[in-house]
Amino acid sequence: MGYAIRTEKLTKRYKDKVAVDGLSLTVNEGELIALLGVNGAGKTTTVKMLTCLTKPTEGKAEIMGHDVAEDSEEVKRLVGVSPQDTSVAENLTVRENLQFMADIYLSKEKAKPAVEKIIKAFSLEEFINKKAKLLSGGYKRKLSIAMAVIGEPKVLFLDEPTLGLDVLARRQLWREIEKLKKSMTIILTTHYMEEAQSLADRIVIMNEGKVKAIGTLEELENMTGKKGLEEVFVTMAETEVEGE
Amino acid sequence: MNRTIVYAKRNFMETFRDPLSWIFCIGFPVVMLIIMSVVNSAIPKEAGNTLFRIDNLAGGVAVFGQMFIMLFTAISVAKDRGSAFLTRLYSSPMKSVNFIGGYILPMIVTAFIQVIISFAAAVIVSLVVDYDLSIGSLLLASVAVMPSALMFSAIGLLFGTFFNDKAAPGLCSIIISVGSMLGGIWFDIEGVGGIMKKIGMCLPFMYATKVARSTIAMDFGFKAFALPLMVVSCSAVILTIFAGIVFGFKMRADQR
Repeated sequence: MGYAIRTEKLTKRYKDKVAVDGLSLTVNEGELIALLGVNGAGKTTTVKMLTCLTKPTEGKAEIMGHDVAEDSEEVKRLVGVSPQDTSVAENLTVRENLQFMADIYLSKEKAKPAVEKIIKAFSLEEFINKKAKLLSGGYKRKLSIAMAVIGEPKVLFLDEPTLGLDVLARRQLWREIEKLKKSMTIILTTHYMEEAQSLADRIVIMNEGKVKAIGTLEELENMTGKKGLEEVFVTMAETEVEGE
Repeated sequence: MNRTIVYAKRNFMETFRDPLSWIFCIGFPVVMLIIMSVVNSAIPKEAGNTLFRIDNLAGGVAVFGQMFIMLFTAISVAKDRGSAFLTRLYSSPMKSVNFIGGYILPMIVTAFIQVIISFAAAVIVSLVVDYDLSIGSLLLASVAVMPSALMFSAIGLLFGTFFNDKAAPGLCSIIISVGSMLGGIWFDIEGVGGIMKKIGMCLPFMYATKVARSTIAMDFGFKAFALPLMVVSCSAVILTIFAGIVFGFKMRADQR
């Protein structure tokens, strides 16, 4: 199995503030990695650098072997992004939103079947003619993820996909993310422990722009001698435990 | 499918489904046309005021309506810039040229629909007030005002790029007020003369009104039509290129 993502000392600085500090990480193809951290830990900035939304100040990052800074056009073809805030065209229907994204990423012949496939895969049949602005928060997020997936990305970035959702909507979205696992590499940022624990193959704990630890839940528990991700996270965040 | 067309389609649908765009882009100019026709009927013929005669009014209202196109372009761009929707698209294979074309094209289409509806209303008014208005000249004018539609869309793109969705509409309203005054839409700026005329001559709005009115009057002379059309077309091209550069720059700056 090859690498889907590889970063080497990836750093992002804004004037005096270091948002991401020397991130070195490798993600295997088909893996789901959770970037876990409190607000301001550097999760969203990491996603922004990997999706060509912001340029790294230092270091290197590759998506499927393509450098994000030098080969951004190719990288943009390979990634799908569901941003932190709801990012749908509010006055367009569910179908029109999906068709819009399909037309951007796919050829005319592929776009229409892709829309039908995604509607079915995400069980959106009931809402296809409903305007996006009339959807509930949970369904808007579901649509946002469906829009990110429709271009058949190799790597999918989900930036806090369940933020602000109630527990039922969150669980429903987890089921959708579970279904996507293995068919593509997924990077999920979250500050919900149970979300990372439930979905991720490996967990990256970030704090103040730095990686505190990377591993499976079991590995992280062994590393800290604590039980459960919350305990592990608190220990990691409060101490200076280093990476991989 | 061409990504510019895909994005233009999305922007057109967003505008088309917003009731405010119907009220301001279509309803308001038509209402102004009717109100000013009523005002005109109350002005004694001896006053010799022809500014609100339906042929002159139709040309002025066509340009006045385009100023709302500017407003809606600015709102559309500023709103998108402030939302995560554009963030998603920045990480897609779309290029800045797709964004710029995608914002301007639907506004040109909207401007064309707007001018056709305004002129249709003008024909109805002309029948009511018993004035002979040539449909052929109105059709020609609906094409002749397209450079000014491009110019106003470009100004809207500039405002939407520079300002957020709270500031952009307010600033566009100032341009609408200044533009309609100095454009000679509601009073005869050349008759007023002085500093007003001088400022008006330095801005493209007066020339846009002249193009519309001269075409309706079928006066294709150099001073009445060709020169104003050249000024408006050059302004449209320069502003579009400038807005495109600024948008592209801002797009890259957002990604730093």
